Order: sequence, then C-alpha cells, then structure tokens
Amino acid sequence: MQLSVRELAKRYKTGDGVSGINIDIEKGELVTLLGPSGCGKTTVLRSIGGFLEPDSGDILIEGKSVIGLPPEKRPTSMVFQSYNLWSHMSVYDNLAFGLKIRKMPKAQIREAVEDALKLVRLSGFGKKYPAELSGGQQQRVALARSLLLNPAVLLLDEPFSALDAKLRHEMREELREIQTKTGLTMVFVTHDQEEALSLSDRIIVMNHGRIEQVAQPQQIYDQPASLYVAGFIGKMNFLEGVADREEIRLGSLRLPNDKGLMGRVTAAVRPEDVQLSAFAENGSLLKGRVKQVMILGHYAEVTVELDGFGIVRAFQGKETVMQLQTGQVVGVSISKLTGFPVEEAMEAAQAI
Amino acid sequence: MSSKGMIAAGNAGKKQSPAKSVSRETKQAILGLAMVLPSFAILLIVVIIPIVQSLIMSLSNGQGGYDLSRYAYLFTDPGMRANIVFTLRVTAITCVTVLLVSYALAIYMRFNQGPIVDLIRRTYMIPLFIPGVIATYGLINLLGNHGWLSRMLEAFGGELPRIIFDEKGIIIANLWFNIPFTTMLLSSALAGIPSSVIESAKDVGVGRLRLFTKFIFPLSYKTFLVAVTFVFMGVIGSFTAPFLIGANSPQMLGVSMQQVFSVFREREQAAAIAFFSFLLCSVLGAFYIRSMAEEEKAKM
Repeated sequence: MQLSVRELAKRYKTGDGVSGINIDIEKGELVTLLGPSGCGKTTVLRSIGGFLEPDSGDILIEGKSVIGLPPEKRPTSMVFQSYNLWSHMSVYDNLAFGLKIRKMPKAQIREAVEDALKLVRLSGFGKKYPAELSGGQQQRVALARSLLLNPAVLLLDEPFSALDAKLRHEMREELREIQTKTGLTMVFVTHDQEEALSLSDRIIVMNHGRIEQVAQPQQIYDQPASLYVAGFIGKMNFLEGVADREEIRLGSLRLPNDKGLMGRVTAAVRPEDVQLSAFAENGSLLKGRVKQVMILGHYAEVTVELDGFGIVRAFQGKETVMQLQTGQVVGVSISKLTGFPVEEAMEAAQAI
Repeated sequence: MSSKGMIAAGNAGKKQSPAKSVSRETKQAILGLAMVLPSFAILLIVVIIPIVQSLIMSLSNGQGGYDLSRYAYLFTDPGMRANIVFTLRVTAITCVTVLLVSYALAIYMRFNQGPIVDLIRRTYMIPLFIPGVIATYGLINLLGNHGWLSRMLEAFGGELPRIIFDEKGIIIANLWFNIPFTTMLLSSALAGIPSSVIESAKDVGVGRLRLFTKFIFPLSYKTFLVAVTFVFMGVIGSFTAPFLIGANSPQMLGVSMQQVFSVFREREQAAAIAFFSFLLCSVLGAFYIRSMAEEEKAKM
C-alpha cells in the first residue's frame, strides 16, 4: 500500500475536526477527498503532508510511519490552492530549488527542469517571474515544482479552485494525463463534485469530519451509501414511500427493494431516472402537473408537482420537452431508485 | 446661417479647445506645485539651508579664507579620529545587534503561538513610550557601578563589569531605543509573507536556516533596508544616551560636536563634524535609494 491512514483524529479548539479516518491508497491511484467546506478533507490532507500534527492515529507512506516528521522530511509534496510560487524567484529557480537542496548536479537540474516545463506545456517560461504568468500558468508551475521532487504521494489541495471554469476543465484533463504518464500516487482535495467524478480513480466522500463512502465515481453516483452522499453528489429527488420485503411503493409505482427495507422509506431518485408521458387515468403512473421547464442546452430540466408526493425534477430530451407546457398534466414513472430508512433521512437533513 | 457659415463656426470652436486643455494642464501643474511647496519649504528651511550654511561655515579657515583644514583636522587629530572610529564601531555593533534581535523576535512572534508570544507582543513596544532621558537615567540606576544589578551581584560575591560611562552602556541604551521600532517594522513585513509560502518552502525540503536566507530575508529585504537606515541614522546622530552614559573619551560624534561647539566655542569645527556626520548618513541614504531603484527596475 502506498498510503495508509489509520484511525486518524484531529480536533480543533472550535470543536471541528476529523475522527476515525481510515484510508488505503494503492500506488498510482488518484483518490479524491470530496466534501463541503469544513468537512475535514483539508485537515486529512495537511496531516498527511505534515503541516498538521494529528491528535491520534497513524499515517504510513510506503509502509513507514511519518507521524512526527516535519513536511520537509516526508516523501510527499503539496500543490496548494493559492499556487504559492515564490515571487522573488524566476520560474526556473522555483522549479530548481528543491533539486538544489537535494544536491543534484547542475546539468541534471537543468535537464529535469526543462522536462518538467515541457510536461506542463510551459517550455521557454523559465526566465519569467510568477507575476508575469496567468493563474493557470502559475498553477502549472506549482504542479511542475511538486512533480520534480518525485514524491511518493502528491497532495493537491483544491489546486484549480481559483481558476475559471474553462481553465479548470483544461487543467483537470492535463492533470489526469500527467498522472497517467508519471504513474504518481495522488490525493486530491476538492468540494467540486464534477471535478471529483471526472478525475478520480476513487472518491472518498467526507461529512462532518467522518468518511461517508469510499468508492469509484460511478458507484458513488449510482449507489450512494447514505442519504447524505445521495444528496451531495449530483441532483437527486427525495420521495417518501413504503417498503415491504419485495418492493418499494410510491403511490401506484412499484420498484425493487434491493436492500430489504421495511416500513416508511425515503426513495432517492436521479432526475434522469424519471420519465414523463401523457397521463392515463387508469395507468400505473403518478399524476403530476408541469411547473417549470428549463432548457439547458441539449436537454431540459422539467419540474413537476406530483399529487401527494411534492416536487420531482426530471431530465428530458428536447423532443419530449417540445410537447410539454407549463400547467400540463403528465404521467410520471421512475425506472430506478435507492431506498433509505426514513430515520436516516432525518439525520441527513440535520447534517446538511 | 448658411452651411459654410456653420462649418466655419464649428472649426472656430475646434480651434479653441486645445487652448482650453493647455490652460487646464497649467492649472493642474500650478495646483501640484502648490501642494508640494509647503513640504519643500520646510525641507529647505529645516534641512537644506542649515546644511549649506554648515558646509560654508566648515570651510571657513578663520582668517577670512576658505579651505579644507577643518576636515583635515577630523582625520589628523588623534582624539577626533578616535571619536569617528568609536562612533562607527558603536553604530555598526548596534545595527547588527538590533537587526539580529529584532529579526529573532519578529520571526518568533510570526511563526509561534502561545503565552510567551502574547507576552512579547504586549511588551516589546513599551520602550517606545519611555522618554530617552528617563530611560537613560533608568539604565544608569540599573547598570551603574553602584546600581541595582551591581549591588545584587555583590551580594553573591560577583562583580559587574564597567557598563555605564563605557561603550557597552551606549550600545545597551541604543538597543533599548531601537529594538522596539525595528521589531515593529520587521513584524509587519513578516506578517505580509503568507504562511503558505513558508509551507511550500518546507514542502520542498527547506530547513530553518535556508528558510531564513532564501525566503524570509529576501521577502522582507525592503523593510530590512528601511530598518538599517533608521537605526544607522538614529545611532550615528544620537546624543542623549552617549552624552549621559558615554565615557569622556572617545566620544560619539554628536557629543563631540556639542563639546566643540559649546565648550571650545569652535563653531566652524563643530560645523565640519556636523557636515561629516551628514555625509556618513548620506552614504547609507544613497545605498538605500539605489537598492530601492534596483528593486523597482527588476520588477519592471
């Protein structure tokens, strides 16, 4: 195992912090810590990097405990949110500095720096100063500086959050490409679920200082382990239903009860799993009235008020939307849901 | 009005507009000058004219002519030469010590937390609020031959080395006067260095010494220069402490100038000492301005 975090706990004076954190990351994996602000993801990352000393627990990198070691003694490197380039040094010096400390011969340093600049598509930028670069270029230099140190684990603390949406998208692609090329183990912190879903081999969803779920992106999306994860990742409808051994019933709709829940349940339904059609009085559909249609480019989000179930949102193709009008009565069917006990729903509501 | 007439009127209007803009520019220039004038007048009356007068007076040889004999005396008279060396030595020792102590305090306060840091933060400025004469009197009482410290040491069989009426006393007094302000300057400079920059330096493997030489010092260099300039000029021109706790010989230039002026009544020689002190300060001033200009140039 490249990185193992065992029962990590850190409590701040404010009462915030993390506890019971267990993470195992294989060599070459890109794992994302995802969660809202204050959930503890940065605390975990900074503890791995040595910038925070945890209250208890252990952190092992390549099988060796790094607890008690300062950042400069750990086989990690961090890419910070605010780039943190050294303004009094040129791009070349920013990159070469870590290698000079490691007493690498000058010729080798020059070669390594040029390779790193090439990798981040900044060849020829060596003589420039950080102030002369754009935000995206500065973050690329910061990334190259960390890559040059060839760390056992590369830590990235919301590195693209200061960039605009387009650049962020480009940088994500570049990072994934670099990770594939170098085979580096990376731990990436973000609160942007889209970023986490598109980048990661695995996602660790955190909430209130604890891990909610660790899984591959698709699994997190399709099979959220908790109502909190269901609500945090992507858009989700929550409808109340009743479960028996075989089925979950939502009015006239009947869907499989995979978890064997009993009694009142909260059904989490993705908008893309909701279908709208013409309502037939005796049909097996829920009855609803179209409240709003929002065109979002190649698809539309339709808000429907269901009789007795509240609001449900559905993603529909352009063809279906063309036939819909506000106020129109429609039939609603659901192809897939994930059920949770009602008590969990109440807890999740409090957590959110 | 015919169309030709209208065009002519329009052109006439256009011709008038440059004249208007020139007059606005002139008004702005006059306003700018008027704003600069009071401070320039004060500079002229308080600094430039006295310096020129001192220079002229220092060049007068007392026989109605002008020469450099007063300046030659500064370097040929053994007593005066000793005063210059003494002044430069006290200034250099004070500058180095003040900067070392102030940097240490500023760094300690910037990168640490806890009750000791809080205590330092609350107390290090106190000397700034104590008048120089009172502070010097306090130092005499504390460090003098029959001062508190001496008496306490005597009780344990120890003996306090000579501090008051000695170079050491002047240096200690100068440290008392200069450390708080320099610490304040450096603290504000260090506060401007983001923690994340320090963290990223540590992240690439930088140890403590290199952290100071390659990051903290270069990033606070500008303030360092300001601090050096302030301390140097303050010490080289200091009078109260050297006068009250300095030895009879050698003397700091300020005390020496006062003696030459009011005891020996040699106004021309005192003017030469004053102008020489001014030249010493100017060297540092020129170095400071050049460094700043170079930094600005590098930024561009």
